[in-house]
Amino acid sequence: MIIKSILLVDDENLFHLVFEDACSLLDISLTLQSVSSADEAEKMFKHYMDHPNDNQFQKPEVVFVDLNIVGSSFDGIELVRRINFHYGNGVVIGIISSSADQTEISRSLQSGAQFWIVKSDDIEPRLEDFKKDYPAYKNRTAEFKVYK
Amino acid sequence: MNKIQLEEDTCKEFERIATEYKIYLEGNILKVIEPLGYDEFNEYIALAKKNDNINRKKRLEVTKQVQAQNKELQEKQNKNQTLMEDLQEAIEKDKQANASMEEQNSELKETHQKNEALMSELKDALSEAENAKTTAQNDLDVIQKKTQFELIGNIVSYALYVIVGTGLITTALYVMAIIKGSPETTLIGSTWSNLFGILLTNSFSIIGTIMGVKYASKDESSNANK
Repeated sequence: MIIKSILLVDDENLFHLVFEDACSLLDISLTLQSVSSADEAEKMFKHYMDHPNDNQFQKPEVVFVDLNIVGSSFDGIELVRRINFHYGNGVVIGIISSSADQTEISRSLQSGAQFWIVKSDDIEPRLEDFKKDYPAYKNRTAEFKVYK
Repeated sequence: MNKIQLEEDTCKEFERIATEYKIYLEGNILKVIEPLGYDEFNEYIALAKKNDNINRKKRLEVTKQVQAQNKELQEKQNKNQTLMEDLQEAIEKDKQANASMEEQNSELKETHQKNEALMSELKDALSEAENAKTTAQNDLDVIQKKTQFELIGNIVSYALYVIVGTGLITTALYVMAIIKGSPETTLIGSTWSNLFGILLTNSFSIIGTIMGVKYASKDESSNANK
């Protein structure tokens, strides 16, 4: 199952390119949008909520959020919480971070994240695993999972 | 998502561009094109996807390398930052130590100046004490000499009184004996003569002794001064 659109929220611009190429090579998504701050991502979700019929800006199906987004007024877990509790409505959302700190993972679970992908130089196998699990995430039948 | 179907003429145009200029469709658009019923365009799409994958793989590798280098640079920058902070801290500590040393130096200088002033006062006091000692010694010497001279003067005076008194008495007795015509005149005369000789001898002996004592005391005082 191919994902129609993905939103990546990460302050590292080089990772945008890596993620985009990896998603394209693995046939994970058709479109991918990347933003560098949590505030910008929240604004986008406000827009989706205020203008649900705006075809130019469609709500993504999956959101990947970095844990520590430099230059943002709140962190990735807070963004996950806001999207889930204010603007979400069916969006598959999770954290993508180089950290695998158990406390942060627990926090993300409490905020409503469905998965945690550990960033590394070899991100493709993890995304491939995620792609396999995606239908279950979409149907809300999958349990929280950490991709290491 | 519904896939799109292209007209055959459009497909053939894409094939022509690919043959003539090696330009192929690329990106996600390839994923939404419905393959047509003839093999050439299907082959075109397959080749375009293959090219796209090759290009993306290359770009992904390059991006990962750049990302790794970037990470390394970031780490080095962080290390440099830490080193700079440490250096700054060391400089600050050094400045504080210098300031403290300068303060201590200043205190030491002040103490040194006080010590020098005290030493100067001490030297003055010592000098004054030595002067006082010399003065006291001189005074004592003068007093001793004065006492000695007084003593000697007294001894000489009494000795001279005795000698002169004895001389006068014996002379008076001798004169009376001559006047009265005493038969003992000769005896008294020789006795007077002897006695007078003895008195003169004693007188000169006393004077000589006094002179000797004076000379010796002069020598002692001059040696002491040297």
